[in-house]
Amino acid sequence: MGSDMTEQAIASARAGQADAPQGSARLYTLALLVDDRQGAVDRVVNVLRRRRANMRTLVVGPSEEAGVARVTVVVDDAEVGVEHLSEQLRKIVDVRQVLLFPAGRAIERELALVKVNCTAANRSEIIELGQHFGAQAVDLAPETLTLQVTGKGEQVEQLLERLQPYGIRELARSGCLAIARDE
Amino acid sequence: MTTTATVTQESGDARRASAHATDEARELAGSHILCEALVREGVELLYGYPGGAIMPFYDALPAYPRLHHVLVRHEQAAAHAADGYARATGKVGVCVATSGPGATNLVTGLATAYMDSTPVVAITGQVGRPFIGRDAFQETDVLGLTLPITKHNFLVRHVEELADVVHEAFQLARSGRPGPVLVDVPKDVQFAKTVYRPAASVRSIELYRATRVPQPAPEAIQQAARLIAQARRPVIMSGHGIILSNAYAELRALAEKTNIPVITTLLGLSAFPVDHPLFLGMPGMHGPAFVNRAIGVTDLIIGVGLRFDDRVTGKVSEFAPQAQIIHIDIDPSELNKVKPAVVPILADAKAALAALVEAVEPGNHQGWLSELRQWEAEEQERARRLSRPVPYPTPTDILDAIYEVTDGEATVVSDVGQHQMWTARFYKWTRPNSHITSGGLGTMGFALPAAMGVKMGRPEATVWVVAGDGGFQMNIQELATLRDEGVEIKVAIMNNGYLGMVRQWQEFFHQRNYSETPISSPDYVKLAEAYGLTGMRVERREDVQAAVQQAMQTPGTVIIDFAIEAEANVYPMVPPGAAITDMIIERE
Repeated sequence: MGSDMTEQAIASARAGQADAPQGSARLYTLALLVDDRQGAVDRVVNVLRRRRANMRTLVVGPSEEAGVARVTVVVDDAEVGVEHLSEQLRKIVDVRQVLLFPAGRAIERELALVKVNCTAANRSEIIELGQHFGAQAVDLAPETLTLQVTGKGEQVEQLLERLQPYGIRELARSGCLAIARDE
Repeated sequence: MTTTATVTQESGDARRASAHATDEARELAGSHILCEALVREGVELLYGYPGGAIMPFYDALPAYPRLHHVLVRHEQAAAHAADGYARATGKVGVCVATSGPGATNLVTGLATAYMDSTPVVAITGQVGRPFIGRDAFQETDVLGLTLPITKHNFLVRHVEELADVVHEAFQLARSGRPGPVLVDVPKDVQFAKTVYRPAASVRSIELYRATRVPQPAPEAIQQAARLIAQARRPVIMSGHGIILSNAYAELRALAEKTNIPVITTLLGLSAFPVDHPLFLGMPGMHGPAFVNRAIGVTDLIIGVGLRFDDRVTGKVSEFAPQAQIIHIDIDPSELNKVKPAVVPILADAKAALAALVEAVEPGNHQGWLSELRQWEAEEQERARRLSRPVPYPTPTDILDAIYEVTDGEATVVSDVGQHQMWTARFYKWTRPNSHITSGGLGTMGFALPAAMGVKMGRPEATVWVVAGDGGFQMNIQELATLRDEGVEIKVAIMNNGYLGMVRQWQEFFHQRNYSETPISSPDYVKLAEAYGLTGMRVERREDVQAAVQQAMQTPGTVIIDFAIEAEANVYPMVPPGAAITDMIIERE
């Protein structure tokens, strides 16, 4: 009986919230203000791992205050789980503040650098395609072209989809950054 | 801000007691600053083991006679002893180890303290800064290793921050929901000198957000009082938080004013007297059936300082299906973690209970109580029917003898396994904080070293260890430390020649496939003698009381090896993953 039950328990429980219904996981964006001390980011990442949050993107950089880093993380989780996760993150001594943005409630942007195959024949076509998405060509080589695009995650996705037929050689995405929208 | 005041106050005594301390700034090595900071924190006892990277600290130590260092025989025991000391006294326990294996040996003890929220500060030596990250001899990433099992940890980067870090560590360990904090000090930082100013060394740190104690929200208290007034079958469920916040009187006042019965978790045992008419028992996997039955039908749980652990709830979706929950906890991440609370109250248990006692109307639940007592009587009657006359000592014989011989004055430290559940269930917990055990982590080998910390923290107390023959052998080396320190504890080993709890699971869930659970023991009488202590062996039931008496009359640590029934089980039992109302009870 033991193993069946264990498997069921694992299947039904997500991120420590035993009552979260199946399929209720969705994307959440968290922004954390963290004292820029040794191990601070480790602690944040460790709690995310330990509390079984699926991390989609993680961005670490400076904030408006010296000595305070801003960590932006997108997690795939159920709502009960993400509330619990926020409380767990707030317990980290280095964490000053945890902002939880439900989808669409913040300004969210990401940057991508895409290296696409190109020929002399289709180069301008690709550049033009990029321009539709506000992308700039930042490097030109005989066989490749690198575009830089900034925007919401889905805009980046759309451009990538359109570039796919040309052959994407290399892709670097920054991950999502978010800031609260003022009323 | 109060915390700063406390530190200053303690430092008064500390300065007088310290070997060298004056308020004047003077140049000191890191190793001495470490000692000064410990003295300022009011530390008197530390458990540790020297080694290469912590040698400068040990070199400074003899200059601070106030710091009594106990040389354990294994670093794990140092952490458990510090934990036991903290549990018994409410003060921060301190352990010390060297880098590498010294630090890794602390890990089990720190994880134990973390799971049970006890305040411990661990100080570890680290290889010199130039060697960090270079796989030096006895180098290990202690910060990384202990990240998930400490409330916070520090790697001291330079000697100038050392004193601050130590004070921060103590403040963090004891504040809010307590927990272990580790300070890793590179060897060259211990040698490095700086100007030390005792009065200035307590930095106003950014920790207040982590250490503040939230006050109960008045509207939440009012809402809770309304639910309590409406409830027909309410229960109070209290946990370790009552003991950690010293809220015994408030818990009792709430129960008595509202006439609501009290269920205590494993770590909440001894927070409410078991002979009180409102005491019910322990819930969950090995709780009495009537207690779990009560949870099955209750319409209101007033949960105080507990975290609804899986050993308490069983299958969560079937736990207390009819109940609304008021949940009081100091840790916001515990609220709504397992069971949604209708009224979550973020507060220290003592403050919240005091406010609640004020807010509630006197209640009367005689009907509900007599129903519960009826169920209890039926369960006890059944147990009496099933009991067979046996020639060997039973767990209850041993526990009753300890209680009677010590007039109920003993503090009992149990290890982990069947004996732990028997002790939790059958000992008469009548004195506050007299039950000490590793609940969350379930660490075998905890009891002997933890009891050493308990006894050294409460020298006037009678301390009994109840252990199994498996767990006792896990930190058996501490008998030497007990002897050296002249620490007197009494040990009852419930010896069934098995890793009994695992064997019980094998019996129930693995078709009696007793894989690797039979375990042999040394001759404990000879063993005790070899350590310069006293040992006894008891094989007959009628000798139990006399042996316990003799142990109490014999100076020093005494071990009694009780030969109990080999295949006795802990009943009732909730199978893992099942609802708690779905218990395995003893076959008729």
